[in-house]
Amino acid sequence: MEPINWHSFFFLLFGALTAVFAVAVVVTSNVVRMAFYLILSLGATAGLFFLAGADFVGAMQLMIYVGGTLVLLIFGVMLTAQGPFISMKTGGGEWVLATIIGGALLGLLVKTAFSVEDWQGPAAVAHVEGEEEHAAALPAQSPTSAPIGLGLLGVRTDKLDPAKAELAPGMAGYLLPFEIVSVHLLVVLVGAAYLARTKKRREA
Amino acid sequence: MDDQVLGDNLWQLLRAAWLLPLVSFTIIVFGGKRLGKAGVLAGYLATGAIVGAFVLSMTAFGLWLNAYGVPKLEHHGGEHHAQAVSSGGVFSLVKFQEEAATEEHHASSTAHAGTPHYHAGEWYRLAQFGNLRASISYHIDALTVCMFCMVTLIASCIHFYAMGYMHDELHDITDHEVHLRDGHHLHRPGRYYRFFQYLSLFCFSMLGLVIAGNALMVFVFWELVGVCSYFLIGFYIERKSASNAANKAFIVNRVGDFGMLIGLMALWGSLGTFDFAASDLDHDGAIAQNEKGIFDLLRDPANGFALAPADGMVAAAAAADPEVQAAPTAENIQNWRAQGYGYWLLVIAGIGIFCGCVGKSAQFPLHVWLPDAMEGPTPVSALVHSATMVAAGVYLVGRFYPAFAPEALLVIAYVGAITLFLAATIAITATDIKRVLAYSTVSQLGYMMLSLGIGGWIGGMFHLFTHAFFKSLLFMCSGSVIHATHTNEMPKMGGLRKKMPWTAYTMLVGCLAIAGAGLPFAIFGWHIGLSGYYSKDSIVMHSLWYGDVMPRHAWLAFMPAIGAAITAFYMFRLWFMTFAGKPRDHHIYDHAHESPPIMYVPLVVLSVFAVGVAWTMPFTGLSLDGLLDSARWPGTNPAEVLGLSGVVDPHQYHGMATIVAFSTAIAGITLAAVFYGWGYLNPEDARRQFAPIYTFLRNKWYFDELYDFLFVRPTHFIAARVANLDKKWIDGLIDTLARGTKGLANLDDVIDRYFVDGLVNAVAHWTMSTGLALRGVQTGRLRQYVMFIVVGTVALFVMISFYASRA
Amino acid sequence: MDLLTQPVGVAHFMAVGAVLFVAGAVCMATKRNALGVLMGIELVLNGANLNFVALGSEYLRRDTALSLGADGNLIALFVIVLAAAEAAVALAITLNFYNNHSTVDVDRADDLRG
Repeated sequence: MEPINWHSFFFLLFGALTAVFAVAVVVTSNVVRMAFYLILSLGATAGLFFLAGADFVGAMQLMIYVGGTLVLLIFGVMLTAQGPFISMKTGGGEWVLATIIGGALLGLLVKTAFSVEDWQGPAAVAHVEGEEEHAAALPAQSPTSAPIGLGLLGVRTDKLDPAKAELAPGMAGYLLPFEIVSVHLLVVLVGAAYLARTKKRREA
Repeated sequence: MDDQVLGDNLWQLLRAAWLLPLVSFTIIVFGGKRLGKAGVLAGYLATGAIVGAFVLSMTAFGLWLNAYGVPKLEHHGGEHHAQAVSSGGVFSLVKFQEEAATEEHHASSTAHAGTPHYHAGEWYRLAQFGNLRASISYHIDALTVCMFCMVTLIASCIHFYAMGYMHDELHDITDHEVHLRDGHHLHRPGRYYRFFQYLSLFCFSMLGLVIAGNALMVFVFWELVGVCSYFLIGFYIERKSASNAANKAFIVNRVGDFGMLIGLMALWGSLGTFDFAASDLDHDGAIAQNEKGIFDLLRDPANGFALAPADGMVAAAAAADPEVQAAPTAENIQNWRAQGYGYWLLVIAGIGIFCGCVGKSAQFPLHVWLPDAMEGPTPVSALVHSATMVAAGVYLVGRFYPAFAPEALLVIAYVGAITLFLAATIAITATDIKRVLAYSTVSQLGYMMLSLGIGGWIGGMFHLFTHAFFKSLLFMCSGSVIHATHTNEMPKMGGLRKKMPWTAYTMLVGCLAIAGAGLPFAIFGWHIGLSGYYSKDSIVMHSLWYGDVMPRHAWLAFMPAIGAAITAFYMFRLWFMTFAGKPRDHHIYDHAHESPPIMYVPLVVLSVFAVGVAWTMPFTGLSLDGLLDSARWPGTNPAEVLGLSGVVDPHQYHGMATIVAFSTAIAGITLAAVFYGWGYLNPEDARRQFAPIYTFLRNKWYFDELYDFLFVRPTHFIAARVANLDKKWIDGLIDTLARGTKGLANLDDVIDRYFVDGLVNAVAHWTMSTGLALRGVQTGRLRQYVMFIVVGTVALFVMISFYASRA
Repeated sequence: MDLLTQPVGVAHFMAVGAVLFVAGAVCMATKRNALGVLMGIELVLNGANLNFVALGSEYLRRDTALSLGADGNLIALFVIVLAAAEAAVALAITLNFYNNHSTVDVDRADDLRG
């Protein structure tokens, strides 16, 4: 028996959590429960991020997404959770249609994902070539936050020598998008504040 | 005086005389109404113009006499007779077959070794086609000058007369002969100035015809004169009878002009020129071939002025003959002429020209218009239809004389004789005073044509002049009578000489002149007679000669004598019925009065001329026939022009002619006096006894009915058929086309409305319904939209993977 | 038990991502509550994020030179930010809708129909 690849084990764990809770969001009809399941699902996703080596992104996921966006959602839920709105059911026919189409899409996507040889994972090739030991050892993790930060400022330190010639044009940093996003956030804030301002409430 | 200068002077004078009436016409046409109150000045203007023309003509006459002297023509047999038979008696009887000096006669009658004195030239060339010229040109010889003087003198008298006669037209007129639809008489404003406008135009046209130097110009003025006649006859346009008469005159004239055109075509086509005589057009002193006139081409001086077809005629006739193949060289032309080619072309040309004269001078068979032309006012009848326009035909025959072949002259003679007899017989029974005079005119014109046809050129032309004077006098007298009695009908008149002495006695002079009253013997070597006597004498003389030298047509010889007798009879019948005897209508008699001086003074003037125009002026030997003879073309004396040779001289018949003329005149006057003057015999009895003849004559030999049957009715018939054709078929065709177009338009409308519009509407409708249908896609349901997005994504993914995997 | 012993590759991550994505899509399509729809949107975005991160990871490929590297992470970062912004706006809209119509049932929001 081969030794358990703990990376894969944890991947399976977090992956299962994510998928199960995502499906639970879909299935449940209580909006409050939906919100909770979503939080759990997104938390598991953060774990997946860490497993993939994107530690900064995972941290951001937990901070911004789970800690900000979803809290916002929960605020919204709480603001609108009047009695009859908490659980609204959809008809059976729609469930059937959604399931069929969703299932079709899922099948397609998975099939496509597994059809690319490069994405199958490092071990398969190594197994064929007989370098199992070499492949079993994962490379040392390097923290990603510094390259990301520098990238945002316009310096791409992780790709100083581009692997392929055609990737050379993409060596510029993400300074411009960074600025744009900043302005975008400002606009969004202003807009959201305006949209949600207090108005005279009509009688329900 | 230099010939060229004389010619120029004559031309200037006569051209001014010719154009003065045109100036008057132009002024009156444009400003007639404004000339004085109701246009009264128009009369003065026209009269002034024609009197001015007369003065200029007399000046030209004086110049002519000054240049060429008085032509001495001593052909009065009585004079010679007096000298030859110097038996110391004042009165000497005429002997038959007198032995006058024939040589002298020959010498004097052929005194022109060459052509007579004439001046010809071109004023303005209208067009030229190679050698053919159409131009305004003049030909002035003694005949021209005399005609000018005669025409302007008579026209002046008539203008004065007309100023009085047309006085009524100065104010509004109620025309009693026109009945309007509501039964009233027509009431219209006066047209005084219009009358003188037409008179001026007529004078201009007539003088232009006289001075014309080529046949085309003659034709142009021929037509102009006809048009003026139309205007003047139809002066009272509201009267149906007057307008019909004007139409009749013009149409009948046109029939004659058709023949004239054929003659002109024959001449121009074969001779290449219209000019009468040669004229030095390029002023180089010599006459080139293309400057020769008709007379020179037809009567070659080298040939002794004998009539022979010109080279052009012979060549044209030979070319028309398919058997002749040779080219027209000079030698061939001589041979052909000897064989007779071209002769009939000459004859046709002559007869063609004569046809125009038949129409214009009212000869048989185109005489029917002249009596109806009396519908015009009397001055018109006096000027146009007695003295000038109708004389234009005789004038043209006289002018064209050198070009007539003997066959053509025979035709002229027969036509003249028939006309003479025909008109005279009708005049016997006519009761309208102007109709009698009209038929008398026709008869006298026949007289002149007969004389010209039998070779008596001088007689015919002489009679033209004398007839002009006494006929216009007679017409004006009758106008005076009509003006006084307001009626034309002689049975209502009678005994008027006591009320209208001037008119009566001047008319008596005229009647005597037309009857040819004169003494048959000589007093102191002079024959005393009125003007008609001399001219009639000349004609009778020629006719007697003709009867002897041309026995085949001898009956023509009797016509002048018979005609003279009948003329005397009906003229004195007219005089007696009007002025003598007891008045038959007392109402008219009571109201009759003498005309104002402006009307009877011209009568007196004309009667003086009627008496003395044929006399030889004492101490100068100037006489009208002498002048005329000086204008006669060589080769046209009676014998030569008939193609005879070696015959006796006509003047030998002079004595016989005098007796014949005198006796016929006496017979006619006596008969008229018996019936109408002394009243021994009752004309009613004669009428009853000869009832069929009377009816035949009274109905003018039924000519009008005959022409109506032969020409007028078929024309109306054809016109009705054609009108029917036009209305039924042509209009029907057009209507059918219109209806077809309308139907097609309706069909188009249907197609347009149902198909085209329908198509457009259907497209719009389809667009609308599609839009409405697509509207349903937007349900507004958010989840549905999301579902669509997902489905779309799936579908896209499937397609891409499907194709990607394939590729 | 291949999955436990062998190292996982991009495909496995993408599979999970697919599950998230489909779940999110179905959630968007079927939930009547507006907030449920918003949650579906969050799920979709997260599925996409997972994809990006997996492709940008240096462990999961055979040929590690092909990985997106920092690009993947940065894109995922931007997606998170934009997702937050979008969630804020969407919530504002929903609250506005709730204020006007006193309901968050999206089936009631069908005024804009043809």
